[in-house]
Amino acid sequence: MPFPLGRPLGVADDPAFQLDVVRGALGMLATATEPTIEDHPVEAPTEGPEVWACPLNLAVDTDDSLAGRVRAEVARLRPWALETRRARGRTLFGASGAGPDDVDAVVEALLAVAESGDVESPPPGDVEWAHPMPLLVRHLVDDLRGVIHEALASQPGPSPDHDELSEWIFGGTAFGELLLTLGDHLTAASDAAPMAGLVRGFVIPEGHYRGLSNFEGIPGGYRRD
Amino acid sequence: MVRLGDLHPTEAEHILARTAAMPTIEIDEWRTPRPLAESTVAIVSTAGFHRRDDPPFTPGAVDFRLVPHGVDWGDMVLSHISANFDRSGLAEDPNIAFPLDRLDDLAATGEIAGVSRWHYSFMGALPAPQMLEQAGSEVGRLLAADDVDVALLVPI
Repeated sequence: MPFPLGRPLGVADDPAFQLDVVRGALGMLATATEPTIEDHPVEAPTEGPEVWACPLNLAVDTDDSLAGRVRAEVARLRPWALETRRARGRTLFGASGAGPDDVDAVVEALLAVAESGDVESPPPGDVEWAHPMPLLVRHLVDDLRGVIHEALASQPGPSPDHDELSEWIFGGTAFGELLLTLGDHLTAASDAAPMAGLVRGFVIPEGHYRGLSNFEGIPGGYRRD
Repeated sequence: MVRLGDLHPTEAEHILARTAAMPTIEIDEWRTPRPLAESTVAIVSTAGFHRRDDPPFTPGAVDFRLVPHGVDWGDMVLSHISANFDRSGLAEDPNIAFPLDRLDDLAATGEIAGVSRWHYSFMGALPAPQMLEQAGSEVGRLLAADDVDVALLVPI
């Protein structure tokens, strides 16, 4: 299945394409006479412009602090995310332990960690988080990134792929700046708490942390292999 | 699996190093499987998919979560630890990595005999595949006891 990570059956909402992939895999049982590897012969169709661009203007002119800009970005994206949830009737939001409507709690938790630099204590709030710190940071970030996915899915035009979305996030959004700030705190804490350095590699996609690879430059010297 | 050329070069280099370190697996005698039209099929996924009230996966997890046939997709979340794969497809259509509805389609047309009542969800991203040997054997025994003939392994 030569498709991008996260899309092993190739195309979302395309039952015919997915059935071809499943039939191809199961069909090998009828023809193979020994352990066999075959590539699915059909590429997943691609669409849209070569360079995706977010149609929303996320710049703000009222509160230019990091917290103010992050809140403003989420406020602009949220109505679109709600449209997607209404259309789908479901959401993946909540791996952090937050309920589907706890978007503000997730935002405030991340901002609290960014402001304090404390990656060991649970952030304040009423949510019963599903993870201890600092691992919670990773799932808070993923929940918020999921809101962005949902928002962009409702907007006119094509949706970005993983790389395009990461380029956009780290190319000037407040959310990207927040993630880099969290990454800095996790790196700083990793001498005393090796898990913090590990979590940085799970928060920021490869190639987007200050010129370092996911698990590079961690004072504890963590190696993932 | 994704092509190495479609990964960030650091990720590709890492996967190649892992591949070189993989253990050699002795191959048992080949057994001709039952015809698909007489087979019950189960999904074994490494997407880190599970129900909202299941314990989330943690780094280095070698356990698994049960996904029942007929699960409400709205009850599912994803706690896979990696930051390097795209969740948007799964958010749009869970079948892109957990093709339960596609198995139902094949059962409806008689191409397979049936769909298992249970499916199994792991989180990948482990440093060594042999870490999953115990849980993998356990799932194999569970599938056999449940009269499942085919496990459709779906990596993320």
